[in-house]
Amino acid sequence: MTQFLAQLPVLPIIIPLIAAPLTMLLPARALKGRIPCLFATLVSWIAFAASAAILHSVATAGPISYHMGDFAPPIGIEYRIDLANALVLTLVSGVAALAFPFSYASIRAEIDDHQLSMFYAMALIAMVGLLGVVITGDAFNVFVFVEISSLSTYALVALGARRDRRALTASFNYLVMGTIGATFFVIGLGLLYQATGTLNMADLKIQLAGRDNPMVEAGFAFILVGMGLKAAMFPMHLWMPNAYAHAPSAVAVFLAATSTKVAVYVIIRFTYTVIGADFDFAGAAFEYLIAPLAVMGMFFASIVAIFQDNLKRMLAYSSVGQIGYMLLGISFGTEQGLAASLVHLFNHGLMKGALFMAAAAVAFRVGSETCDGFRGLARRMPWTAAAFIIAALSLVGVPGTIGFISKWQLLSAAFDSGRAWAGFLIVASSLLSVIYMGRVVELMTLAPAPDASAAVREAPLSMLVPMAILVAANIYFGLSTELTVDLAERAATSLMGAAR
Amino acid sequence: MSIEHLVLRVVIKILFAPILLFALYVQFHGDYGAGGGFQAGVIFAVAFILHALIMGLDETKRVLPAAALKAMMVVGFLFYAGTGAATMLLGGNLLGYDAIAPNSDHNEGQHYGILLVEFGVGMAVASTMLMIFYQFAGREPEIRDEDW
Amino acid sequence: MTPGAETAAFWSRLIDLSLLTMLVLVAYTMLRSRHLFAIVMLSGIYSLLSAALFVSLDAVDVAFTEAAVGAGVSTVLMLGAMLLTVRREKTQRLGRASLGIAVVALVGAALIYATTAMPAFGDPAAPANSYIGAVYMERTAAEIGVPNVVTAVLASYRGFDTLGETMVIFTAGLGVMLLLGPGSGRGGRSVKDRPGKDEAP
Repeated sequence: MTQFLAQLPVLPIIIPLIAAPLTMLLPARALKGRIPCLFATLVSWIAFAASAAILHSVATAGPISYHMGDFAPPIGIEYRIDLANALVLTLVSGVAALAFPFSYASIRAEIDDHQLSMFYAMALIAMVGLLGVVITGDAFNVFVFVEISSLSTYALVALGARRDRRALTASFNYLVMGTIGATFFVIGLGLLYQATGTLNMADLKIQLAGRDNPMVEAGFAFILVGMGLKAAMFPMHLWMPNAYAHAPSAVAVFLAATSTKVAVYVIIRFTYTVIGADFDFAGAAFEYLIAPLAVMGMFFASIVAIFQDNLKRMLAYSSVGQIGYMLLGISFGTEQGLAASLVHLFNHGLMKGALFMAAAAVAFRVGSETCDGFRGLARRMPWTAAAFIIAALSLVGVPGTIGFISKWQLLSAAFDSGRAWAGFLIVASSLLSVIYMGRVVELMTLAPAPDASAAVREAPLSMLVPMAILVAANIYFGLSTELTVDLAERAATSLMGAAR
Repeated sequence: MSIEHLVLRVVIKILFAPILLFALYVQFHGDYGAGGGFQAGVIFAVAFILHALIMGLDETKRVLPAAALKAMMVVGFLFYAGTGAATMLLGGNLLGYDAIAPNSDHNEGQHYGILLVEFGVGMAVASTMLMIFYQFAGREPEIRDEDW
Repeated sequence: MTPGAETAAFWSRLIDLSLLTMLVLVAYTMLRSRHLFAIVMLSGIYSLLSAALFVSLDAVDVAFTEAAVGAGVSTVLMLGAMLLTVRREKTQRLGRASLGIAVVALVGAALIYATTAMPAFGDPAAPANSYIGAVYMERTAAEIGVPNVVTAVLASYRGFDTLGETMVIFTAGLGVMLLLGPGSGRGGRSVKDRPGKDEAP
């Protein structure tokens, strides 16, 4: 039992890592393709249970350090899990645990039956890639798992080609941009390694202390740009709307809720744990470069979102704006701002997951991805419509939902750090999200349904239940902020403390 | 079969076995000199790719069918991950090879561990490279003469 | 420095410079050429030249990998991919070339800026040579017991990274199987030209 507990930190990684290749060998077409889906679901639930146990352990007993191969860091690779990792780890595995059962109906409709077991193997690999990025305390290990998650994501996005050939172009663009991002990231790591001779994050921090030189500055810049590309930071977001719009619907659910969030987490991790507060250039980069870009992203992407006809593209542009909020929060350079970013990172994953799930359910039943497909939806698919409306209210920031908690935290962080302008800009761009979300909600509730409405049924239970759980989380964490806000504040305190 | 590419056919028949032998040398000599599972896997795959290029993919598939490659990909990777899991069950951390032979005074565990994972890498890389080649080459029979 | 060492240093610098010159020439030719077969072959040559450069930098393991993967397998795979498309690249005018050039110039400037602080090549006091790298050199004989330190780092000290890299290779293979294998989409039609073993006719 003690051995089992000692191995807990590595379980969310090693179990899916072993399960993914096995999934590939499962029969794809027996029992209507249920076997690979059920197996992947089970694995994701185990990963989620392990992540939740890790979060509990970190919250009560402090950070965990696990030494790969029994070599003490910085000689070997270390898993160092504090509250920031554990929170994002739980988000990623939690969304995966809901996305896998959700995917069954829509994936069967969207890809060839022969490919089901390979698809679920790939989806597990994508999950383990993101989890591996989040959990590790070794800078190069981040890169290895970024590669795993990227490669699998490119393939998953391209699978949308069966429905729409444009998925191939979207995936190719994503591949080119993502590869540039990963290359920049590894160039940055190389420069930091050359400056310090170590790859362990905590050790990098120690070795870098007082060594402000061009290598470190350029290294940090490369890491920031590389991960900015992965996070779809404005103006490097162009790959994202097409990738999300043309990917299979269930894939879009998982990616939209997790992938960019993980990239933002990596930016936070490198800024605070690796570079730290000693370096003026990091602060200056956020103050004079990231903050303006974040604000521009908030407005530009929201305005573009208003004019989108394809619902998933609209949601993707909305994500670009929401990433802006997170980066803006980090750029305040205060503990409160960082905590607000972490809260929003977590909450936004839940909202976007629910919204993309509703979009996927509509695509499955109505067969349309344009806003027109939502016409009169409240009468045709009442549960899906209700889920969409609640998640939309959450995105806008109505009290009682997680969106409100995020916005409130961001606003108070902005005003407390003397950045009233930022507060006003956050409110103003939220109004834009009222427009683009309101447009769809209006179509759903007020517009008459098209003639063929009789043929449309409510989404199947395998879709409705995960959607309902995610929507319930949108409300639960909006009313009870203990888990998210308190933990994020403690995470921010420890990140800031480590940075000094 | 005609006698086109006769020279190439003879050459690949002569070279095939030495290439495989070299791959095995690289695989198991990685502890001492340059090389290891990754390079060995690639060289191993190259022997079969050359065979497929000259003799045609269908001939090669008779020796090494795609289904076998698929299984080899999985088994190769699981050799590596399984070694890691085994060390966990034996009381060490993930990939802590010392747990394989805890009482050894000459790092026996490390030797076994490295041997096992390198073998897994070699198998996974060789089968994956061949599988990728099969997928590309499976779409068109042969390189046309004017392309050479 | 003895005269003999000086001569050796001169020759090795000459070799490095000529290899780098050839790399640039090959890269430029690849950029200008529209003949895909030539480009594939040139990319093989490019890998071979880089492998030679790695040997000259005493990174034999890296050179070996580059020669086997870059010059060997990827050339064949590129050939296989090329056979599925056309033989010549379509010429097209790219609109925002100036933006691309500006980005490339910026990245190049950042890299050159970084080199200003770099320690000299092979400097034993450089952090990359004196810190963890030196620890690996010292401890491998006692802790791992294999003569090749590269293998010790790869499979033992950082074995988990290598596990991840093996997963990357596996993912690449699986990705190609998904996109080109049985059941993959070709404009919405499933491909039946070469049914796999597990596929009903």
